[in-house]
Amino acid sequence: MHWTFAGIAALALWAGYLAWFVLVLARRVRAAELRSMPLPYKVRALRLETLLLPVVLLGINFSGGYSGLVALFLPAVALAVWTFAPRYVTSKVVPLSLVFLGLYGFTVVREFARGVPWVTRYGIAGGGSGFGYAQLDLVQTFAFLASGLWLTWRRMDPDSAISRMLLREPADVPGRHGRPRWGLLLLLVYGVLVEMLGATFWLDTPWWSASLTLTVGLAALVLVIRAPAVAADLALAGLILFGIYGIALAAFWPSHVPLPSPYTWDVRYASVWVTSRPTALVAGAEGLALVAFGLSLVPRALDPWSRALLRSAADAELAGRVQRLTRTRADAVDAATAELRRLERDLHDGAQARLVSLGMSLRAAERLMVSSPEAAAALVAEARETSVKVLDELRGLVRGICPPVLADRGLADAVRALALDTPLHTEVDIELAGRPSLPVETACYFAVAEALANAVKHSAARQVQVRIRHYDGRLRIMVTDDGCGGADPQGGSGLLGLERRLGTFDGVLAVNSPPGGPTIIAIEVPCALSSRRISISSGTA
Amino acid sequence: MRVVIAEDLYLLRDGLTRLLDAHGFDVTAAVGTAPELLSALLDQRPDVAVIDVRLPPTFTDEGLRTALEARRQVPGLPVLVLSQYVEQLYARELLSDLAGGVGYLLKDRVFSDEAFVEALRAVATGGTVLDPEVIAKLLRKRAVDEPIITLSPREREVLELMAQGRSNAAIAQRLFVSEKAVSKHSTSIFIKLGLEPSDDDNRRVLAVLAYLNS
Repeated sequence: MHWTFAGIAALALWAGYLAWFVLVLARRVRAAELRSMPLPYKVRALRLETLLLPVVLLGINFSGGYSGLVALFLPAVALAVWTFAPRYVTSKVVPLSLVFLGLYGFTVVREFARGVPWVTRYGIAGGGSGFGYAQLDLVQTFAFLASGLWLTWRRMDPDSAISRMLLREPADVPGRHGRPRWGLLLLLVYGVLVEMLGATFWLDTPWWSASLTLTVGLAALVLVIRAPAVAADLALAGLILFGIYGIALAAFWPSHVPLPSPYTWDVRYASVWVTSRPTALVAGAEGLALVAFGLSLVPRALDPWSRALLRSAADAELAGRVQRLTRTRADAVDAATAELRRLERDLHDGAQARLVSLGMSLRAAERLMVSSPEAAAALVAEARETSVKVLDELRGLVRGICPPVLADRGLADAVRALALDTPLHTEVDIELAGRPSLPVETACYFAVAEALANAVKHSAARQVQVRIRHYDGRLRIMVTDDGCGGADPQGGSGLLGLERRLGTFDGVLAVNSPPGGPTIIAIEVPCALSSRRISISSGTA
Repeated sequence: MRVVIAEDLYLLRDGLTRLLDAHGFDVTAAVGTAPELLSALLDQRPDVAVIDVRLPPTFTDEGLRTALEARRQVPGLPVLVLSQYVEQLYARELLSDLAGGVGYLLKDRVFSDEAFVEALRAVATGGTVLDPEVIAKLLRKRAVDEPIITLSPREREVLELMAQGRSNAAIAQRLFVSEKAVSKHSTSIFIKLGLEPSDDDNRRVLAVLAYLNS
């Protein structure tokens, strides 16, 4: 070794880089007040990629192919990024660099195997074409690739926009569920393939072969990004096949080598050069590990596919149904609770209060009966008035719960009675061969009542038509007025409430109300008719 | 005057019986179910019947249906139907045979026993008595049509009382005006509504109701 000015400068530069790294690290430790913390905590707080950064830098620096200046100043750029860029940039750049270093390692080893007399440096392995260097290269290749993939996985923020786009499905697309992260392993499989076959194995002309290799690599990358599920499955298949190959190597060594390298009779397998029985056994162990790893992923890989297969249209329909039922049940419970609350309040403020005053009047009358019969009579008369009012209020309450005609006669006559009470010319056209269940009848009745009330209040209509039929297992109600239109089902809480109430019975409510009218409110509720008594009257009101 | 009472609640049935006894009616039967009522009406042919709309066995509108059935078999059989609520629909069904002798009142009206007894007598003599609440609903509905808007407030009052089955004399007494004035008002009402004037109380009521129901 002889000292030159450039060599000394480069050494000084590297010392500077090291100092830079240590200083920034120390400042961060101080800033985060981590000094008293145990080491694992410190590592976690500073993030692992920080510690791996020197590895990356060394790896890049010592790997061949760069001119001296690039090799010297690349670390400066990297350190600057690490020091000044936001942390998430480092946390993305470092793992990716490791992956690319690993992939590059395969080609280095490949070149060596082809007997290219390069002086190629890779990682901590110095230049030279010796067998020992190549072994070291293989180990490093796998170390870089494994740590890069592992870190990529770890640093992937599952909620970031990118990983959502790349790795996640919209929640409810059936059949395409699951974008397993281990689709990334396809890159490893690809690297191993290149290692075994060689970057220029495919075609005779090296350039064409290299292009093809690159294309296949890009295809793998696109698969990983665009179709992670497919990439994952391919990676899985690759892992298992390579594993079996490794086991076969160990089993048949040396009498039979299943897949010899096309260029030399040396066989490489994963991180070893299979040249002896011990190395063959190591290859076998690695193969076993790969098969085991691949098999352990099989259930997870099969899961989305089996789910996709089992997930028929009926399932999707059921899921939708469950969702709808859950919602309408919640609505029904809410509505019932609100209704009970209203009843309780009305009874408390109305009937109960009046009954208390009634009792007090009667008690006072009782006392005055002898001493002042006239005053007593007046009090009793007052009590009678109060009782009339109580009855009146209770009548109103009962009407709000279940209108008497509805209970007596069913929907048809109840709607006719409603039409009679509506201060508009109301035409009723009802043909029902029986009665729906009382809850359905009640919901429909209040829907019609609301529709008529809206027509009276908002539409300036002159006449309204109510048409009720039952066919194809559905009760169909249509309320049409000749008013000014412009009704908005989202605007008023009335129609919305009706929709919810009907929703409990899988009923739907549609409003068609163009400005200028007419307004048509259509209601459909699936239901059966029972052969209960049918109404006796019909006609217009 | 012979009366049949149909009311399923014992307390109310008993109370009605005593009330009518006290006013000199002869309660020949007080029943609690619809079948009993029908046979009592058809066998005894009372002068008037007081019937609760809601009766066993179904507790819906059995009473009303029985009354209609009895009147189908015995046209004009006077019935006064009582109910916790009044419905125009039921009023129309009762009036639809145009035979008179029909009453339809809220149960609370029993509290004013004199008015109630008066109404019962009117029904027994072929008159028509509707609860003020029914009339109010009818008027509210017709209020959007033109002719009824032309009525003066006084004429509306007269019309309401008329529809309750009251005679000119009773209306005059109620409104503290002379019978002649009532007569003038009613003529004016009939002209404004485009109806044939009439002195017969029941025909008057029916004409008014027919107009309101049209």
